[in-house]
Amino acid sequence: MTKPNHHIFADGDLKRNEGTLRIDTLDGETEYLPVESVDTLYLHGQITFNTRALGLLNEHGIPVHVFGWKDHYRGSYLPKRDHISGDTVVQQVRAYDDPARRLSIAEDFVAASIHNMRANVRYYDDKRGDFTGALNRLEGLKQRVCDDDRDSIDELRGIEATARKAYYRCFDTILRDPFELTQREYNPPTSEANALISFLNGMVYTSCVSAIRQTALDPTVGFLHEPGERRFTLSLDIADIFKPLLADRVAFRVVNRQHISIDDFESELEGCLLSEDGRLAVLEEFEKMLDETIEHPRLNRKVSYKTLVRTDVYSLKKHLIANEPYRATERWW
Amino acid sequence: MDSVGWEGDSVVQRYIARERDTHREPRVRITGLMMQYHEVCTRELWFFSRGVDIDRETSNIQRGTHIDETSYEGQRRSFSINGRIVLDMLDSGEVMEVKASSALEAPAKLQLLYYLWYLDEILDIERDGVLAYPAERKREPVELDADSREWVEESIRGVIQTVERDEPPELEKKPYCDSCLYQDICWV
Ligand code: SF4
Repeated sequence: MTKPNHHIFADGDLKRNEGTLRIDTLDGETEYLPVESVDTLYLHGQITFNTRALGLLNEHGIPVHVFGWKDHYRGSYLPKRDHISGDTVVQQVRAYDDPARRLSIAEDFVAASIHNMRANVRYYDDKRGDFTGALNRLEGLKQRVCDDDRDSIDELRGIEATARKAYYRCFDTILRDPFELTQREYNPPTSEANALISFLNGMVYTSCVSAIRQTALDPTVGFLHEPGERRFTLSLDIADIFKPLLADRVAFRVVNRQHISIDDFESELEGCLLSEDGRLAVLEEFEKMLDETIEHPRLNRKVSYKTLVRTDVYSLKKHLIANEPYRATERWW
Repeated sequence: MDSVGWEGDSVVQRYIARERDTHREPRVRITGLMMQYHEVCTRELWFFSRGVDIDRETSNIQRGTHIDETSYEGQRRSFSINGRIVLDMLDSGEVMEVKASSALEAPAKLQLLYYLWYLDEILDIERDGVLAYPAERKREPVELDADSREWVEESIRGVIQTVERDEPPELEKKPYCDSCLYQDICWV
């Protein structure tokens, strides 16, 4: 079984207490966290920590994702790996450097990503509107990714962007009023729906960072996104596959089941943001989603969504090392 | 790399020659664990030899390859030989291999036989062995005879062939898959 993530919202100090993590919050509370039972640690508050605390997290192989002011993602502290796998990284860079291989992997990402967007739209077709147009559009775009010959990643990115636009256009109809998404905007998000999606996309991204860290792949060498972007490009690649499966479905859920309302957002000069209560409610649903399980046809057992992110990365790793086909996760259930 | 072929009997001869010369690294460094994997699943061996590692902590299966480090403590001493093999010697001089269960008997036996073979061929030390299953209170003597030598040498050839492949042996369902550490990477 995978272990749960742990989120710390309070402001305070994170310390090492023998073999345990100790959190002293500014409100004078003390919490002890047994490290063995944590998969990934999320710091949402203003937390100070020292190298001794990091040392303990390192020993237990726990990645830490740090969020700053207003829960903007700040970065990750990734523990060193016990088993350094030079071969894996060499193969990864080789594949990146070979234009045909790089393109083919990037195509797998995009095809799966469009497939998963379409699965969401199909679910709401008839339920909340008539999405025939968008469904056909997405189908056509996926076919183009799979069938056409191309020699540039840019063209592929163009198709991805077109698909995403068509997909996001359905959100306004899928999301219960008064939530609306007329246009996807970030930096800063300008509406409640945008703020919600940005927050959840950040969670998917960090989930991918954690999964990649567990497989000895180098998170900085991506295939679809250009390295040199500030973030881990391989995580951006994998996150695109999982955003529809995780982020968007949680967004639909919390809005349509009214777990959050328009009051859970704060509009300020720098845009619209989830309030702390709103973030808590959304995170709870997100963590629940990560633990939900589905039957895996090839593994012959039930796997959680969290495991699914990991097996996707394993599949990529196997492709890079053993040249067996990479099966980017396309919703089958 | 040298150009001498690695086919047929010469494989083992060359392996022996290389191992006797402790200053040279053999092309494939064979450990006891690799012999076990070879017997269980060559695909597992290939993954292992490529350093493909899955996170054992988060893997849903934890197989006890290192079970019972503590059994027979005090009666056995560990030796690391040429940085290749690590074996436990009993005070009686026998080489002991401790296993959690006798379920995978052949691989465990092959591993032990490989140690005996290695001692004999490379270091000129003749020893007998004993396979112990403390949980089942069972001990089985293991000796290096003509048949078991043949088995070891055949396996050495097999290990080298597998490890030198560019791609892993094909995927094929084995009874062992369900408890294999590589299951998730293998079947996804
Ligand atoms: S999962 Fe099965 S086929 Fe794959 S390495 Fe393990 S035993 Fe071999």
